[in-house]
Amino acid sequence: MAEDLNWAIGGEAGDGIDSTGKIFAQALSRAGRHVFTSKDFASRIRGGYTAYKIRTSVDDVQSVVDRLDILVALTQRTIDENLDELHEGSAVIYDGERSWEADVPDEVTAVDVPLKSLAEDAGGAIMRNVVALGAACEITGFDVGYLDESLEKRFGGKGSKIVENNKDAARLGQEYVQENYDLSHLGYDLETTDNDYVLLNGDEAIGMGALAAGCRFYAGYPITPATNVMEYLTGRIEEYGGHVVQAEDELSAINMALGGARAGARSMTATSGPGIDLMTETFGLVATSETPLVIVDVMRSGPSTGMPTKQEQGDLNMTLYGGHGEIPRFVVAPTTIAECFWKTVEAFNYAEKYQTPVYVVSDLALAVTEQTFPPEAFDMDEVEIDRGKLVDEDEVDEWLDAQDRFRAHAVTDDGISPRAIPGTTDGAHMSTGLEHDELGRRTEDEGERVRQVDKRNRKVETAKNEENWDYREFGDPDADNLVISWGSNEGALVEALDYLEEDGIDVRVISVPYIFPRPDLTGEIEAADETIVVECNATGQFADVIEHDVLTRVKRINKYTGVRFKADELATEITDKLSEEVPAQ
Amino acid sequence: MSSDVRFTDFKSDKQPTWCPGCGDFGTMNGMMKGLAETGNDPDNTFVVAGIGCSGKIGTYMHSYALHGVHGRALPVGTGVKMARPDLEVMVAGGDGDGYSIGAGHFVHAVRRNVDMTYVVMDNRIYGLTKGQASPTSRSDFETSTTPEGPKQPPVNPLALALASGASFIAQSFSSDALRHQEIIQEAIEHDGFGFVNVFSPCVTFNDVDTYDYFRDSLADLEEEGHDPTDYEAAKEVILDGEKEYQGVMYQDENSVPYHEQHGVTEDMSDIPDGAPEDAMDLVREFY
Ligand SMILES: Cc1ncc(C[n+]2csc(CCOP(=O)(O)OP(=O)(O)O)c2C)c(N)n1
Ligand code: SF4
Repeated sequence: MAEDLNWAIGGEAGDGIDSTGKIFAQALSRAGRHVFTSKDFASRIRGGYTAYKIRTSVDDVQSVVDRLDILVALTQRTIDENLDELHEGSAVIYDGERSWEADVPDEVTAVDVPLKSLAEDAGGAIMRNVVALGAACEITGFDVGYLDESLEKRFGGKGSKIVENNKDAARLGQEYVQENYDLSHLGYDLETTDNDYVLLNGDEAIGMGALAAGCRFYAGYPITPATNVMEYLTGRIEEYGGHVVQAEDELSAINMALGGARAGARSMTATSGPGIDLMTETFGLVATSETPLVIVDVMRSGPSTGMPTKQEQGDLNMTLYGGHGEIPRFVVAPTTIAECFWKTVEAFNYAEKYQTPVYVVSDLALAVTEQTFPPEAFDMDEVEIDRGKLVDEDEVDEWLDAQDRFRAHAVTDDGISPRAIPGTTDGAHMSTGLEHDELGRRTEDEGERVRQVDKRNRKVETAKNEENWDYREFGDPDADNLVISWGSNEGALVEALDYLEEDGIDVRVISVPYIFPRPDLTGEIEAADETIVVECNATGQFADVIEHDVLTRVKRINKYTGVRFKADELATEITDKLSEEVPAQ
Repeated sequence: MSSDVRFTDFKSDKQPTWCPGCGDFGTMNGMMKGLAETGNDPDNTFVVAGIGCSGKIGTYMHSYALHGVHGRALPVGTGVKMARPDLEVMVAGGDGDGYSIGAGHFVHAVRRNVDMTYVVMDNRIYGLTKGQASPTSRSDFETSTTPEGPKQPPVNPLALALASGASFIAQSFSSDALRHQEIIQEAIEHDGFGFVNVFSPCVTFNDVDTYDYFRDSLADLEEEGHDPTDYEAAKEVILDGEKEYQGVMYQDENSVPYHEQHGVTEDMSDIPDGAPEDAMDLVREFY
């Protein structure tokens, strides 16, 4: 872990924090370094503290840590907010010419760079962040040429003049530090590699997964932190003959997506907690009408409007149980950014194979975090498409009743009926949220009701047997201590293993990407002395589910501050938990 | 599409459970005839219905259809049309369904100008829930939930449509079979959102807005020489508080439907067996 560098820029919302961070992250990625970013932002566009943190290493990095090496501080608050994370080797870059006099801790090296005036020399004050990036390159011994590439990518569309000005700004920052400071005692010398990496966040990975899986219709309503899915698809889905509609609300969005799916297109909508609430009525209709639909819930902190820009994993119960009546459904929850891609692809296949709604449950930490991957992590040749029992003109015949009516809800052994999309000759039928017979016609007949309910639930049984609802495993498979996690906690947990190992604590980590159906962990839990379930919510929703499955009490680590787990913090929490008593009944 | 489609091909074998004499029978007949006359058949037609007595129409018609949740039929129709511009999409529901719970969607479906036909069976009452006030009920209309009348003015759906930028606004009366059918046909043929508010009397719960009332009071715009392409004239008849009209109030001759404006022309149900051939380009974008 010696090669780690933790860099951050912080200031007021509207200071260009995000784009500056992204430019540096991309430069590092291009230099063949692993990058893991995190954002701390308030729910306002101007004003309010915002920070963008990068952890980078030549080794794989999957989480943030409580440590900052280089901090670009645009305000005093940036320094104050990060005091705990600064250490003897830290450097704080700030602009002493500005009205504020930076109050930097004694042991930390303050690097006063006239960001604004150097930016003006390069062509405009707006480039002061880029001056700071140049300064950061100098301090860390990072080749400013990589920064150039990422500036070209960022500003190329705005013309070569802007690109050149920005490159100049970076050079001025670099030279200023070179001429005025000797920072060799800090000992930074960033290594580069020949590796090719791509850098993307979870929302982008979901959108890319949807395109790979043949999603053609997307309807959504903007909401943090799911909006990026829609923004990603807009402009790209058209390349494949698809379309994005910004609906008037979530009620409309899910109903549009339902219409698209009913018409035969692979369709999707994405939202966050409040939107899921609004979609719930139609969710039941989707299931009852047996329409294949993918619904993405990028969780944020709730309930109600809660903390819209903060992390939480509080919607598990909602996606697992939400809706009146009993609704067969699948719930998959990616555990990494790469999995956001693959689970979305899977979700489309489950939706069509089993003709059910499928929730893809992601979270804010996955959505706003950018991470590097080798491009092969998204190998498109591996993408498989399974459209299930979609019947064409010829196959329809097999499913007609004595009066030549199409049995769209035919009761079958596996619970899955044939699906005829509009335009299929003789396939015309009505679908409804009312209880219905095989033809889709309303019924209140007791026997028919039971047959249809059983049929729909049987699809889930079929899927449980046919698919591989497995989990990912890390650490020591024979360890007595078992830690179970879902969603974005995986990365921090995997890194926590290193800290625990240093302390001589062996842990087996199981990261579960399937909430329903989900793997049976009875054997694993029985084999362990101690089981701890880690999640970002207050009540332990996944722990409840696990206890219910296994009929054993588990220990819990819950975080609901709105901030994701950090690796070092998790290691400490796990150590503490292991020495605690098992909770009483 | 076969040319020998008869309107009865759009009829399902399910017997309607509407009260004898309900206006919805006539509304539905006009819709089925309109579809057949405009050259559609059940296999290329998608009917979306709302919830209410009116919403049951999906059950009694034969085509690809979805009977959805209360008030959300228009978004479903929009999704169907986006995915399959080749389909004839018809959306039907009640005044409560469309102008109360679904009012927001109405405004936005109108302004999107999606190429579909929206038929509202306006009986000025909630039928299925047994007689409560609807948004089009008169302000003094006494119902179980408004014993002294709603005491608020009714919504004027035609004006709402006009204000939302509608490209086709019409009104018909379900028992004037021929005119009703003609108007539905014009709505189907319109390039864009064809909106028809149909007076479809509820014989069980509404003793004010009856067949007799509409028969006696409705003026026919065609007979009055109204020019539907004249926006100002349309405004006048739509905002006329004194008189009720049937006929096409407004039609924008230059209407360009949503899918044409947005270049949505492909059949989206057809997708490759695996990821698109150039899908690795999507990954490379993130270099
Ligand atoms: C979310 C929701 N709220 C309430 C209802 C109950 N409900 C069913 S039909 C209806 C009103 C129907 O009135 P209208 O749209 O005018 O249709 P009509 O029955 O008069 O044809 C109501 C309130 C429901 N099904 N769903
Ligand atoms: S209650 Fe009224 S609207 Fe409903 S079926 Fe009877 S007459 Fe028709």
